[in-house]
Amino acid sequence: MNKSFYKRIKNKILLISVAFSCSLATTQANAMAVPSGELLLADIVVSGIVRIQGNNSQTTETLPGINVVEKGTQNGTITDAQGNFRLTVKDNAVLVFTMVGYKSQEIPVAGLTTFNITLAEEGRNLDEVVVTGYQTIDRKMFTGSATLLKGDDAKREGITDVSRMLEGRVAGVSVQNVSGTFGAAPKIRVRGATSITGDNKPLWVVDGVILEDVVNVSNEQLSTGDPSTLIGSSVAGLNPDDIESFQILKDASATAMYGARAMNGVVVITTKKGKIGKPIVSYTGNYSTYLKPSYNNYDIMNSADQMSVYTELARKGYFNHSDASRRQDGGVYTKMYDLINAYDASNGTFGLKNSQEARSAFLERYARANTNWFDILFKNSFMQEHSLSISSGTEKSQLYFSTSYLQDNGWSIADQVRRFTGNARANFNISDKISVGLISQGSIREQQAPGTITRISNAVTGQFDRDFDINPFSYALNTSRTLTAYDEDGNLEYFRRNFAPFNILDELENNTLDLSLLDLKLQGDFAYKILPNLKYSFLGALRYAKTNQEHKVRENSNMAMAYRTDDDATVQAANRFLYRDPDNPEALPVVVLPYGGFYNTNDDNLVSYNFRNSLEWDKVLREIHTFRFFASQELRYADRQNKSFNGVGYQYDKGGVPYIDYRIIKQNVEGNFNYYNMSMRYDRFLAYMANGAYSYKGKYNINGTVRYDGSNLLGQARTARWLPTWNVSGSWNLDTEPFMEQFANVASRLTLRATYGLTASMGNATNSSLVLQNGSTRRPYLSEVESMIYIQNLENSELTWEKQYETNVGLDAGLFNEKLTLTLDSYLRNGFDLIGPIRTSGIGGEEIKVANYADMQSYGLEVTLGANPIQETDWGLRTQLTAGFNKGKITNLKNDPDIWSLVTPEGGPKQGYPYRGLFSINYKGLDPYQGTPTFVNEEGEEGEDVYLQSDQTQYLKYEGPVDPILNGGFFNALRYKNFSLSALVTYSGGNKVRLNPAFKTTYSDLDAMPNIFINRWTLIGDETSPYHNTPATSAREVSAGFEGYPYNNYNYSSARVVDGDFVRLKQVSLTYNLPAARVKTIGLNNLSLSLVANNMWLIYADKRLNGQDPEFYSSGGVAMPIPRQFTLSLKVGL
Amino acid sequence: MKKISLYITILSLLAFSGCKDYLDQAVDQRAALDTVEKVSELLATAYPQADYVTFTEAASDLAEDKGPSNTINDEENRNPYFFEDVQSRAQGSPSLYWYACYTAIAAANHALEAISMAPNATEYNAQKGEALVARAYAHFMLVTLFSKVYDPTTAGTDPGIPYVTTPEKVVLGQYDRRTVAYVYEQIEKDLTAGLPLINNNAYRVPKYHFNTAAAHAFATRFYLFKKDYAKVIEHANQVFPGGDIKTNLRPWVSVYSTLTANEGLAIYTQATENANLLLTETQSSWARNYGAYRYGLSTPIVNYLYRSNNVTGERWIFPLYTQGGGDNWLILKFREHFVRTDANANIGNPYTIFPLFTAEEVLFNRAEANLELGNNELARTDLNLYASTRIEDYNAGTHGITNAKLRNFYGTSTVKEGLMAALLDFKAAEFVHEGMRWFDILRHKITVEHPTVEGQVITLTPTDPRRVFQIPQEVILAGIAQNPR
Repeated sequence: MNKSFYKRIKNKILLISVAFSCSLATTQANAMAVPSGELLLADIVVSGIVRIQGNNSQTTETLPGINVVEKGTQNGTITDAQGNFRLTVKDNAVLVFTMVGYKSQEIPVAGLTTFNITLAEEGRNLDEVVVTGYQTIDRKMFTGSATLLKGDDAKREGITDVSRMLEGRVAGVSVQNVSGTFGAAPKIRVRGATSITGDNKPLWVVDGVILEDVVNVSNEQLSTGDPSTLIGSSVAGLNPDDIESFQILKDASATAMYGARAMNGVVVITTKKGKIGKPIVSYTGNYSTYLKPSYNNYDIMNSADQMSVYTELARKGYFNHSDASRRQDGGVYTKMYDLINAYDASNGTFGLKNSQEARSAFLERYARANTNWFDILFKNSFMQEHSLSISSGTEKSQLYFSTSYLQDNGWSIADQVRRFTGNARANFNISDKISVGLISQGSIREQQAPGTITRISNAVTGQFDRDFDINPFSYALNTSRTLTAYDEDGNLEYFRRNFAPFNILDELENNTLDLSLLDLKLQGDFAYKILPNLKYSFLGALRYAKTNQEHKVRENSNMAMAYRTDDDATVQAANRFLYRDPDNPEALPVVVLPYGGFYNTNDDNLVSYNFRNSLEWDKVLREIHTFRFFASQELRYADRQNKSFNGVGYQYDKGGVPYIDYRIIKQNVEGNFNYYNMSMRYDRFLAYMANGAYSYKGKYNINGTVRYDGSNLLGQARTARWLPTWNVSGSWNLDTEPFMEQFANVASRLTLRATYGLTASMGNATNSSLVLQNGSTRRPYLSEVESMIYIQNLENSELTWEKQYETNVGLDAGLFNEKLTLTLDSYLRNGFDLIGPIRTSGIGGEEIKVANYADMQSYGLEVTLGANPIQETDWGLRTQLTAGFNKGKITNLKNDPDIWSLVTPEGGPKQGYPYRGLFSINYKGLDPYQGTPTFVNEEGEEGEDVYLQSDQTQYLKYEGPVDPILNGGFFNALRYKNFSLSALVTYSGGNKVRLNPAFKTTYSDLDAMPNIFINRWTLIGDETSPYHNTPATSAREVSAGFEGYPYNNYNYSSARVVDGDFVRLKQVSLTYNLPAARVKTIGLNNLSLSLVANNMWLIYADKRLNGQDPEFYSSGGVAMPIPRQFTLSLKVGL
Repeated sequence: MKKISLYITILSLLAFSGCKDYLDQAVDQRAALDTVEKVSELLATAYPQADYVTFTEAASDLAEDKGPSNTINDEENRNPYFFEDVQSRAQGSPSLYWYACYTAIAAANHALEAISMAPNATEYNAQKGEALVARAYAHFMLVTLFSKVYDPTTAGTDPGIPYVTTPEKVVLGQYDRRTVAYVYEQIEKDLTAGLPLINNNAYRVPKYHFNTAAAHAFATRFYLFKKDYAKVIEHANQVFPGGDIKTNLRPWVSVYSTLTANEGLAIYTQATENANLLLTETQSSWARNYGAYRYGLSTPIVNYLYRSNNVTGERWIFPLYTQGGGDNWLILKFREHFVRTDANANIGNPYTIFPLFTAEEVLFNRAEANLELGNNELARTDLNLYASTRIEDYNAGTHGITNAKLRNFYGTSTVKEGLMAALLDFKAAEFVHEGMRWFDILRHKITVEHPTVEGQVITLTPTDPRRVFQIPQEVILAGIAQNPR
């Protein structure tokens, strides 16, 4: 028997491919094959039409093959192509209408003979079930804390990254748009942070498979603006139109299926499936345009004010004629002196006459320039997004295909994106027992961004350095409006940067970052009903992602020119891009990039597999006891590869032939920098889990899970790699109690839930066995350098997973016939065994170890209030208010951070404070004689110098948490006839924000200054006036005498911190659905038009922000804020 | 149907059992110590990569308060001068040196562990030798700086430092300081076991490893502290082939004194210099600051050591330089190797290369041992030998160290005392900026007096507990006590 069965299975598998191409034919064959049963015992003939709900719930359609069965008998029939059925039944019979993919209905005959039934789609009623990615569970039996968000509801036209759709829609989920650039993930937290050193990112699950990040960009790294952030969003390759629903799993019970990586919550995305019915073709087109940023929204001096500050600086000894030609950076003043110095021997004149009048005239042009950099660098560009999907299906097979194309011409002149996605999904019910599903998903992305290199955190001076930064947004904010992009003749005008000529327009053309990404997923699942109540399922997925960044620095870009500027000995000595040969101590630095530019590449690749076997068994005893058991075993595998190559001397305009001076390689090798690099990271994971649930009459439900997870990430020790976790939960459906019957018309649904359990995740430590790394010794001469192995981390045999006990209590209520719905959740989390740095005696050989010892506590409250007060045919109003409150505290952490790590905008961890607290250098007012800022330094004394690398942090001022304590949204949708209007307002607050750094020790004539500089200290006594309390621009000889960097300290002082609270009108959308009748006449099913405005208005924020976005970290590189955007959206159904 | 479930069960079981080794995959490309070459590379880090010079120099009598103008006033330099504990753990602090020594010891211990588990342990002999000697050296430096100086009468009770011979595998390992005598025993054991195994051919850059010369040089220092003088001489004579120290001394007269400033800064710590027996790269800003530290080589000390005639009746040839201020004297020895954090960064870590053992020290150690053994003339020969390489146009007749010169110059009554005084002076001049004076102060129980510009004088007597530098307070976590104050 087993042999023949095997063959049969094989045949069926073969059939799948056949069915793929001719599914309609097979359906009909099936339909005719259905036996009509025994009709002899019939008493009454019933007939009617069964319809199914169409793709959008306003239309219905008929379908052949809908089952109509007399309940409890074999007697039944199916509908014909027009939806008609006819059946003879007993007069007390109950008719059961069933169709795969639709909710079945049971209608008592009760004397009727004609039935007009419409079956609702199962997907439409997703709130009745909870999709955990592994199982689909009846909402009544679900005991955890989870929130469902339907794709159609969440979808925000014009927003291309699906992760941003969660913003303000789910209580307890905070979405911070630290960068708005395509591909950069927002900072997402579900119920705050659980790990002090880990990533705290939620787990993304798409169609049951965990979506691995191609490159792990931590939440802190997201705000750096580095190129790697562009591939930080794991969901950037998803077509928003493919999404059926989001399910956000929040507590231990809900996330139990994902165990060891789910401590930070899980976002389960379900993509659309084919629907039973005739093929439905849908097209969505979004056409968007951005608004340019405007100086009105920012606090930047105009060119006249700016020039007057320059004049003061010139008086104070800056911008000297004498050293103009040797200055690294220079604007108007530098240019003026250069012209004065430029002697033309042929006619005996200078570029500019050195007279007071000539100089004034020269400067006046620039004082009047008032260049609008936003206008020059940004455009009201056009973005188009087309998405086409075809869905079709029969009872035996359902197919869904979609493809989309996104073309974003970019907000600034330096960026653009193209994305293609394709998705094919097929589900087959091969027999009553066997079903098979196949998914192929792919996306291709091509993106261009301004060329950039990695940011360096400079704890010495207290600033972030990024050489050659040409981020258009930062450039516009930080570049003096006295500079002009074009000269009087309309040619590009160059000023000096890094000793070389610089023009932003020219540079953006010559210094680019090209990113390409290919992401392909193949997935298959198989389910087999061994017994009617025992089901085996298998799921397997393969994902293959390749990303490539090409940083192209062309030979005439400023970045390349900076490497070959050696005008005179002073410049040679000062230009750090030249090479000083250690073998020749007396020689001056020399140019090592005589020709060509750079061609630097960086690739991140991922190969991952995922396999899962699961068994599900359920049993209902006498309609009272419901048992459900679920067991699964899972294997995950991911290999990540990173490789980079720094090509020097690439000659873009000479046929791409590199010119390599060996000394530039030597320079890098001597500095311990490798010109190429390849590294691998291997992620292996195994898990076993079992879950049992019991329900008594659907009233009382209890649920328990045990898991056993294993991972190689902690290192090779066998003891550390395995971890058991568990949780128990229960719910009580109060509405089913007899005593609630009297309130039935008030509370139609009332459930109390509670969960308690242990969750865990892998921390950022891999040293359960010794970690040795290779490197080369730091010695000055190549002949003395040798390869070495060093101990990066000693073995920590006590290493284990980071853990947390979580208690969640929740309430779900539906009031007044579901007109008002309420979900309340409160939780308490006790994190322990968290990884943190600890200072040891050092005797073992490691001064600071990472160990599982830290503790963190957090608690929170989540409220979701929904209301459907009006639900008329013509009128409808829907409103939803979400609020999530989360407060946490590190209760045990023996790290000793330095001042710099605590005062940066991202904040730092410290015992007794939140996960990331923002601290400030305590500002003590201006020095009364010089107008320089003074502070409490690391020793508790007042002074201008603060040693930022000191670990004496007790004199810092604690400002508040970096992450909002409270956030949520308010969503309203109003429908009138064919119009609907919706608005989403989001809010967040309770956190502190550091203002962008605006002060420097010395300024060049390139710098733009905020208007607060108008209030700068100029005279003795100003320090006491509220209007002149901004630090002075110091005279050159004064600044030369500074100890430390008082102006940088000021940027990180208590004077530069504001509240992070804000309320934002995130989206307004107006939609018009063409009346069905009219649409039909032009041969369409439906047609709608929407006008959407995104990110329109920051309704409330701290005034002192002066245009700075409270969410956005202006870090240069590839980071850009989220633009204001208008979108016209067209939806057509065929 | 039953069969199918059976198949599924079997399949799953297969899947489960096939995964037994699935999690053995290393998470990244970390190295494993499974070849001779890799063990050898690990031993490149078995040397303390931090400097003791910053604090030993400031605590010694080669430092004097130069006042606040044009000088750098750092805790790592200031506190040792005032014989106060350094709280900082930054470069140049005793704490960092403590950590660095134990980091070096951990590397040696892991190498030794790997060797003991290797099937072909004999192939690792050279590595074993290096690991043992390196482990002995790091412990020796720890016991010298953080415990009382070796005194045969009290060493059995003076607290030592934890002598670590096995890798630590828990977060907070527990240790015992034992006694100075115990630590010396262990050092000698490792040294005598390791030294014969050392093979210079096993090194790619021998000057950065315990080559045979460096190991013997270390032995001379160790036995000098242990007062086993015959062994000092025995090892000193094995440092160079044929016991030829002279030709290996630094050519100050013929070469160093003729160089430009930049060349002079570079040459002193180069591996090509014969006098350098063992070099180590350390994270240290000493090269940047050694001239400008407030508590450093002041004009009076320079006048005594270099700008007036010494016992030979002549001045040393060392060219004197100043840095950013008239009092900031320096002799060109160190050049900073700045390791940038990124190819284009302005920031990074300063490295200073230190010669840990030199031919000069071997010569002085031999001379001192000879003096202690009563071989005054052998010692006098060595001192004359030294002087001949540091005096321009040296003439043995006019520059030789005579008893009369010793008497006149030092006012000492015995030849031994006179020669010892000369030896310590010569060493002070030779090793200025190298922190070596502190070891002589310890061994010879010299009282140190530190005047301040405010007129205060701080005195460190031979029995002062502050002669022992303080160890980090976190040692409490390891179950041991800090040094008494």
